[in-house]
Amino acid sequence: MTAHTAARHTAAPGVRIRDLTVVYKTPAGELPAVRGVDLALAPGTITGVVGESGSGKSTLALSLLNAVQPPGRIAAGSVEIDGLGDVLTLRGEDLRRTRGRQVGYVFQAAQNSLNPLKTIGKQLLDLGRSHDVEDLRGLVRDAKDLLARMGMDGARVLDSYQHELSGGMRQRVGIMLALVLNAKVVVLDEPTTALDMITQATILRIIREVHEERALTTLVITHDVGAVAEVADSLAVMYGGRVVEHGPVTEVLGSARHPYTQGLIRAIPRLSGDLSLARALPGRPPTLGTLPTQGCVFRERCERRMEVCETDEPMSVTQDGRTVACHAADRHLTLVKRKEEFV
Amino acid sequence: MTHAVPGRPRLGAVARKIGGHLGRGLAMIWVVATISFVIIREIPGDPVLGQYESLIQKGMSPEQAERATAVLYGFLPTGNLWQQYVGYMGSLLHLDLGRSLSTPGVEVTTLIGHAARWTVLPVLAGTLLSFLLGVTMGVYAAIKRSGKLGDVLALSGSLLHGVPVYVIGLLLTAIFATLWPIMPSGGPVDVEFVPGFNAGYIGSLVHHAVLPVVTYTLASYGGWILAMKSNVVAVLGDDFILAAELRGLRRGFVFRYLARNAILPLFTILALSIGMLFGGSIFIEEIFNYPGLGLLLVNSISSRDYALMGGTFLVITVGIVVANIAADLLYTAIDPRVRSGGAA
Repeated sequence: MTAHTAARHTAAPGVRIRDLTVVYKTPAGELPAVRGVDLALAPGTITGVVGESGSGKSTLALSLLNAVQPPGRIAAGSVEIDGLGDVLTLRGEDLRRTRGRQVGYVFQAAQNSLNPLKTIGKQLLDLGRSHDVEDLRGLVRDAKDLLARMGMDGARVLDSYQHELSGGMRQRVGIMLALVLNAKVVVLDEPTTALDMITQATILRIIREVHEERALTTLVITHDVGAVAEVADSLAVMYGGRVVEHGPVTEVLGSARHPYTQGLIRAIPRLSGDLSLARALPGRPPTLGTLPTQGCVFRERCERRMEVCETDEPMSVTQDGRTVACHAADRHLTLVKRKEEFV
Repeated sequence: MTHAVPGRPRLGAVARKIGGHLGRGLAMIWVVATISFVIIREIPGDPVLGQYESLIQKGMSPEQAERATAVLYGFLPTGNLWQQYVGYMGSLLHLDLGRSLSTPGVEVTTLIGHAARWTVLPVLAGTLLSFLLGVTMGVYAAIKRSGKLGDVLALSGSLLHGVPVYVIGLLLTAIFATLWPIMPSGGPVDVEFVPGFNAGYIGSLVHHAVLPVVTYTLASYGGWILAMKSNVVAVLGDDFILAAELRGLRRGFVFRYLARNAILPLFTILALSIGMLFGGSIFIEEIFNYPGLGLLLVNSISSRDYALMGGTFLVITVGIVVANIAADLLYTAIDPRVRSGGAA
């Protein structure tokens, strides 16, 4: 128990994803679902990743645990976590011990992330035994505390089977299992999908509170810009396997620079005001097979498309703590860069 | 437990459930007994009346013939159908299934009891062995499904599943009893040993059981491995397995989660096939000359021994009904979703 309490006060680790490329094996060869992604999660912050289905956000999340499932494969890059080193080089037992203990993962569709044949309490004990927790009573106590923090009767929940809990309760159990071993890095993949609005708001509040209380470094994957605006400190926007824009959440949402981010924000229906003001992005998100191999991945749907977008892939340019990968957004900078290349 | 969890049954509910099962089981047995009574009574040529009349022709007085027939079938051959039915049911309640015609004077229950021993031993052993083997191999076939081992295992399952049991039996006899005679070709035990708990007798028993058990195992192994493989593949795709891996659970735990969830549906089939074993395995008993229930049934049919036939049917029915109840209760015990009476 003392070890648990001590761990709670250590500083949050930083996470640096560098040049990460994940490919999936398809009949048409290996196609990249995530390509050349650079993303740093500052210690103690919540980073939100938004994007449409197929933008590579879940693949990115799984990469943090080196858990990309076949036919996927991490082709290049590194994921460095303070105190752990490059997660992508971990294998076997080292990797298993890292998962759960160091990096907590709240599963997409966490409602189905529990074994239907065992009570939550027994699954908790399995988790503790897997990670050599000696004080199992302490673990149960911690779990009950966490569940109580999330507004549930811990003793009752631990004594229940999955099917005896509602969707929102299972989601909270999933969060509890990700946190109970005091992992300092927590990845939440679509934590509020398939939940009703009230439960969504509760879950988001809990994520925020627990994050601050335990000094975590958190990554939240979602396709819900509204959800991310509520919890995140910084926001990364993914499109076609690339991070097209990244920066503090208020700035990215307040003055989006990438045309895709702007389109996403325009597509959000407002609670007040005319519903018709919300405009859907024209076109469809690319699939693995339809991703252009050269030029900008977004150009097909972009209203500010230029000639250069057809041939050159826009580079990520960082300025004032904001990163954008778009020829149009930072034409000037790009031009300067290209001139330098020619000299 | 100090608090009541909704949906968790109390002791009374469990007792009620078992009681309901037993009631339904008894009703089912009653229905089958009635049908078997009607069939025997109404079959063309009316064997009961025929027996009665042939006894009279042999010179018995009608009263004697009536009594002799009643002993055979458990009910009086004369009188209206209703009276006969009541008589039949009455003797059933006393576990009196009548007497055999083909083995004169011997009670049907005695014959069935003898035959059951020779059925239960090899068929039960074969069922359990093939279940264990098939389930284990099914897990491997599923986990290694993209490799050579998986292909070979799945192919072995499909192949054995497709070969009829009598072909397997005849092949094994041809190889191990004729070409390379290390196994006895038939019979349940060598006659020179004194029945009882002595090494010679038991050794001979086991020796004779090998080929029938192996035949039965091979014949039903295919079904188990194929069913288990597809179950494991389905569970492997379930979210909670990946979730367990992402939580860093030990391989042993993940494997247990996988296996327990995949094996669950198979328990029902296992319980039912154990119930079916009272029907014996006609081909295996015929090939290996095992005097089991299957052979008893076939012989009773060919010798028109209606009382024996009816009795054998009834035993098979009871076996299946009891197995059904057992399967239901077993499921209740191992699947919490069934226990609380509602799916998620």
